Amino acid sequence: MNWSPLLLSIQVTFFATLGILAIGLALALLLARTRVRGKIIVETLINLPLVLPPSVVGYYLLIALGREGPLVRWFDLNLLFTWQAAVVAAIVVALPLMVQSAKAALESVDPTLENVARTLGSTESEIIWRVTLPLARRGILAGLVLGSARALGEFGATLMVAGNIPGVTQTAPLAIYDAVQSGRFADANGLVLMLSGLSFVSLLVVNRMQKGNVTRDA
Amino acid sequence: MLNVNLTKHFGDFALRTQFEIGAEVLVLFGPSGAGKSLTLNCIAGLVAPDDGSVVLDHRVLFDHPARVNVPTRARRIGYVFQNYALFPHLTARENIAFGVRRDPNARQRVDAMLELVGLTSLATRHPAHLSGGQQQRVALARALAPRPELLLLDEPFSALDAPTRMQLRRELLHLQRALRIPMVFVTHDLGEAYFLADQLAVIDRGEILQMDAPGKVLRYPACLRVATAVGVKNILPGTLVARDAAGCRVRVGAVALDAPPYPFDVGARVHVCLRPERIMLLRPERAGRSSDENALRGEIVREMSDGMTATLFLRAAGARLIAAQDYDVQIELPVYIYERLDLARRREWTVSLRKNAIHLLGG
Repeated sequence: MNWSPLLLSIQVTFFATLGILAIGLALALLLARTRVRGKIIVETLINLPLVLPPSVVGYYLLIALGREGPLVRWFDLNLLFTWQAAVVAAIVVALPLMVQSAKAALESVDPTLENVARTLGSTESEIIWRVTLPLARRGILAGLVLGSARALGEFGATLMVAGNIPGVTQTAPLAIYDAVQSGRFADANGLVLMLSGLSFVSLLVVNRMQKGNVTRDA
Repeated sequence: MLNVNLTKHFGDFALRTQFEIGAEVLVLFGPSGAGKSLTLNCIAGLVAPDDGSVVLDHRVLFDHPARVNVPTRARRIGYVFQNYALFPHLTARENIAFGVRRDPNARQRVDAMLELVGLTSLATRHPAHLSGGQQQRVALARALAPRPELLLLDEPFSALDAPTRMQLRRELLHLQRALRIPMVFVTHDLGEAYFLADQLAVIDRGEILQMDAPGKVLRYPACLRVATAVGVKNILPGTLVARDAAGCRVRVGAVALDAPPYPFDVGARVHVCLRPERIMLLRPERAGRSSDENALRGEIVREMSDGMTATLFLRAAGARLIAAQDYDVQIELPVYIYERLDLARRREWTVSLRKNAIHLLGG
């Protein structure tokens, strides 16, 4: 069996997860902790990839990453049809899962606890690191695992911006499609089982986190 | 020394508070929604007042005209919240250490605080594995660890069972005497307010109605709202009919009562305030002596008891104080007296509304 699609998928998912964590957490904090006008618009835009056809998301990304896009114009960086483009696509489609879960977790932290920290001499950033994030960590981790699982399974938008180049941008979901098209069912079966197993374990982990209480020992 | 002068508006609600205290316990006593917690939040800097100033030991923490607003973290004010508000992800020790982590002697300080509140053996437990009383002790130690110059307490004991509450009140008083810092304690429990207060402030609808030593507030309420709030059950409307250096005479309903001297004019409408525990039942063999002040004969028409205190409702025979009610005065006495006087069977009594127990308020 050819392992390269699976290894590439893991590579893409790993970097996508880092991106989801950083961008998703920043957006969740912004949405949960600030009162900016038009917040609901930002939130809706973040959630849009949940309902848009993958081809539409892929089309937007194609334009954003393409020759007229900001990356090419300002940094002369063309990511189209590289594995990095697959990372970008995975981040965009997985972000809503992370943001929703993390935002809900951050909002559920009792503001009194943050006030206690203030009276004990903490600065606002210390409060986020020492009180808010630790108390919200289950929801944040659940969102991250869910997002990673979504990134691992990303197909449509990836196909449009990264293509389906074996050994370069062909991730596991794309390789399955390819294998079925060309009648290589043994290859398809192996990858299907692997992806199903990984996704099952991810959801199991998320469910256990959400069933557990918000805080350790509580 | 804490000097507070605040104005804060929330929709229709307006808070106007002004007081000054030294190293003593000020209790803010009043019903829910009176503005007690809001006052604490303004002092702590968690809510910005619309106007006024907060000065603690000559440090200006807030001054609206001068645009001073020291952030909460720099105010050096300890705050104990109602439902403990311990960090659930930290142990008792870590909770107490939270405010002193930059202190080079943090370890010793936390050890000392754990010992102070008697929790050394439970230091590694998380809040969920501590009882309510233990959690509140941790919260107290946590607030005191950074050596605050003022301690605010917002109904800290209201969720605890009665024996624990009593115990913690005593411990708090000990702490206050040892630390010599001002404390502002919020409660809606009159017994707790009386027990803890050096100064008792009765607050209602955003306003301090009266602030004084607790004994004085209970005995000499400044207005009808305070009288009602501090448990003056007998508030009888009347008219001042005579006055001399020795006292006043007030007509209440069809009865004339002797009262201590008050500066009201003859003919003025007044209220006679009489605490229910200060009315004296006279033994039958004693009744009718000329020395008895404001004697009132009548029958107990209703009663209730909480097991410690019996409340009796006496209806006057003949001349009534309040004709519109089915009773004239409410009397409270300890249950053991109730039993010794055989009140369950003997229902007709003469009581004395003693002159010195009467407090007069303007109409």
